[in-house]
Amino acid sequence: MELQDINYSKNDYVETASGNKVCRQTVLCGSQNIILQGKVIVQAEAIIRGDLANVRTGRYCIISKEAVLRPPYKKFSKGVAFFKLSIGDHVFIGERTLVNATDIGNYVHIGKNCVIGRRCVLRDCCVIEDNTVLAPETVVPAFTRYGGSPGAYISHVPECQADLMVDYTRSYYQHFQPTKLI
Amino acid sequence: MSYITGPEIVKYACTCGLLKPLPELYFCRHCSQIRCSFCLCHAVDSFFCGKCSENIPSAEARHKKNRCANCVICPSCQQELSTRVASKGPINPDDAKSAVKKSYYLSCHFCHWTSRDVGIPDQPSATGCWPERENVHINRLQEVLDVYQDIMLSQQQQKENSKKKRGKFVSYTDRTGVTASALRRRIGIPDIPHAKIKKPKPLDPAIAKSEVEELPEDIFTEPLKLMEITTIDQRLMQPESQPLTVDKLFPIHKQLTIKRSLRCRTCEHNVCKPEYNPTSVKFKIQLFAYYYIPEIRFVTVEPLRAGQTSELIIKFTNPTQHQTTITIFDLDLEEQEKYVEEQKLFDIIDNFEQAMSLEEKQQLSLPSLVMSSGSQPSSMYSLQSRQPSVIVKPRKINQAVNCNVAIPESTFILPPRDDAAEYDDSSDVHNIEDDPKLVKWRKSNKAFIKLAVTPAADLKIDDEVVCGFTMQHIYTNVIPAIVENMPHKYDHKVRVFFRLGKIVGSE
Amino acid sequence: MQRNNIKVIPGALVCEESKLRGDITIGAGTIIHPNASIIAEAGPIIIGENCLIEEQVKIIHRLPFDQQNKDTTPVLIIGSHNVFEVDCTVEAPKIGNHNVFESKCFVGNKVTVSNGCIIGAGCKVTEEQILKENICIFGSNCQMRECIDKPAVSTRKQLLLI
Repeated sequence: MELQDINYSKNDYVETASGNKVCRQTVLCGSQNIILQGKVIVQAEAIIRGDLANVRTGRYCIISKEAVLRPPYKKFSKGVAFFKLSIGDHVFIGERTLVNATDIGNYVHIGKNCVIGRRCVLRDCCVIEDNTVLAPETVVPAFTRYGGSPGAYISHVPECQADLMVDYTRSYYQHFQPTKLI
Repeated sequence: MSYITGPEIVKYACTCGLLKPLPELYFCRHCSQIRCSFCLCHAVDSFFCGKCSENIPSAEARHKKNRCANCVICPSCQQELSTRVASKGPINPDDAKSAVKKSYYLSCHFCHWTSRDVGIPDQPSATGCWPERENVHINRLQEVLDVYQDIMLSQQQQKENSKKKRGKFVSYTDRTGVTASALRRRIGIPDIPHAKIKKPKPLDPAIAKSEVEELPEDIFTEPLKLMEITTIDQRLMQPESQPLTVDKLFPIHKQLTIKRSLRCRTCEHNVCKPEYNPTSVKFKIQLFAYYYIPEIRFVTVEPLRAGQTSELIIKFTNPTQHQTTITIFDLDLEEQEKYVEEQKLFDIIDNFEQAMSLEEKQQLSLPSLVMSSGSQPSSMYSLQSRQPSVIVKPRKINQAVNCNVAIPESTFILPPRDDAAEYDDSSDVHNIEDDPKLVKWRKSNKAFIKLAVTPAADLKIDDEVVCGFTMQHIYTNVIPAIVENMPHKYDHKVRVFFRLGKIVGSE
Repeated sequence: MQRNNIKVIPGALVCEESKLRGDITIGAGTIIHPNASIIAEAGPIIIGENCLIEEQVKIIHRLPFDQQNKDTTPVLIIGSHNVFEVDCTVEAPKIGNHNVFESKCFVGNKVTVSNGCIIGAGCKVTEEQILKENICIFGSNCQMRECIDKPAVSTRKQLLLI
């Protein structure tokens, strides 16, 4: 299916020099620790907790409405430490998804309403279906599709996933236009 | 994105007759034909563990029954187990200097199962050596497996012996010359059995017992504790022990995943070959159809009514670096059926010829599967180390089309793909003259095409409408070795099917 | 007519962006993250000590249908050392100590939660029941198992120091 134009109200979004489009109604804690590489869209009511640890996204990422990006913590004998959350390029994160992972690769597609457990590692070119609950510390290998609760391997992902995600995120960004006032 | 999540609307027909969406198809450049994962030959490239991302050599993988030696999964929820530290206090409570003893146990983050639940003692080292559950029946199983292996070996040797007895005359130019056993046979002394040919040891058969243990009385009176009973899934993950209660569930080693390479069966060239590194997503050879065949994407269609013409808009994208011209033809499913029938006839003729030549050769005890698959080259019978692939017979396209597409007379050109165009804002310099009724809009290597579709008049509301056409595009061959033999550019046809949605309303 | 009556005992940490409605008492050491909402519809809520309430959590004290219009106003007492992870919805009428409600779980208003329970991520518990102690609910089918070993409790306390 070809994407339709998604319009947003110009007042709601802030566009930075590197092309990031961030909605004003998001909760961005610790914004000095959040690095959005460029052409990233952060939609309404998303929550990015940069105050806990560094959060880094690659280019052309899409963080949908009400998604929560929360760096994971690790319990040590002497206390608790928060680890950085790094997301690769061309990643799509669906609505209301909670991401507690420590590392998300490039070209990943995460569906809506997912729970990505603590310290999960998602390798490049994987797909997480809608409503998945990934157990903490799961490693999702490349070119796999995980789903269900607990998240388990469902099927293989076609090898052109990288190009599909590049194409999808680029066209999403191009179609994400402010409503033109006539 | 609809390839990842949404419904599959556009499907291409592979040469074997199956319908697949474009990302699941491959294109063999040497045969210039579309292939799909069904008609390609899959070969395992390497084994690796999903969790530790380490490559495992294939011999070790076979020995460990395709399981990772280090990683274990939880028996109750099949998720990965992680090692946790439990430190006991100093061994000697008086001496504060004695080292704190660290012991490790396994725990699951999802269902909070721990190795202590089953009674596995904490290990002093973090990396493995988790005690395995001993299989009670392992001796008997090993005996049975050994007997079958011996039988297999002796059968193989019998085959080889019978193969050697070709002529009536002992060949003096044979590799081994006149062997002792050949001499013995000539003289008439009975043959001493070769030391290495073992006769399979007869096995003690299992004795069937007619008496069965009585059911204990309290099975009817005792209340059922559901939380202590294992589910069928949990039980069958460990087929050797199949525990009934939760406290006997032992952790299982994680299964390995593979990287596979795909090979075309007709020309024996690789179509897809991934890199060795488990975390890498690059390919050494990547001949995906997504890079060679123009991609057709469904944009929109007017509400469909039975018997009435609606407008369908689709988007064509040229993924190659060469200009291509697209012509739309009629779907012509009868031609495909004729092609399939022809192939079947060829197979029957081939089989007949092989059957004739077989009777002249000696009877070989090959498994019956070989005879039934049909299209086999006769070189199969010489036991080569690598057997040529079995070709998948094409089949009839199994899709009923209930909508008519008005075939446009004009063709249209798609410019080559230009990666630098997104940074360059200047408008297209192509100046292509288009038929305005056909091409609605174009930008660099994409074009929106308008077609008129008419669903069949006898369809009811909520019937699924399927239409299709044959797309011909000019494929430019860039392989230097083949350029002399084949024309540089040639027309490539592919059948495309669309699931347009349901009928709303009627005439 | 509801008037907000929020009593925060010193030592607790309540974020401004959280939504608190009704008669709520928050114990010492409790942390409430932004975007949490605690709604005391049917009666007051008393939250114990050292609880952790993360983003998008909804703690709603609401009477089940068949018990409305009673004279007494029930109080929801939440024990100490409970953890409510991101986006969980809890409507239970009684919650004990040391429980963990993982992300996106849903606990209905007929479930009584005792001590030491773990309601796993994504689980929806709606049937009328009293959860036994140290029960762990996990999976899409809400499988239950008894957790004998619970070493994780003490380290969660340290988490609250953030």
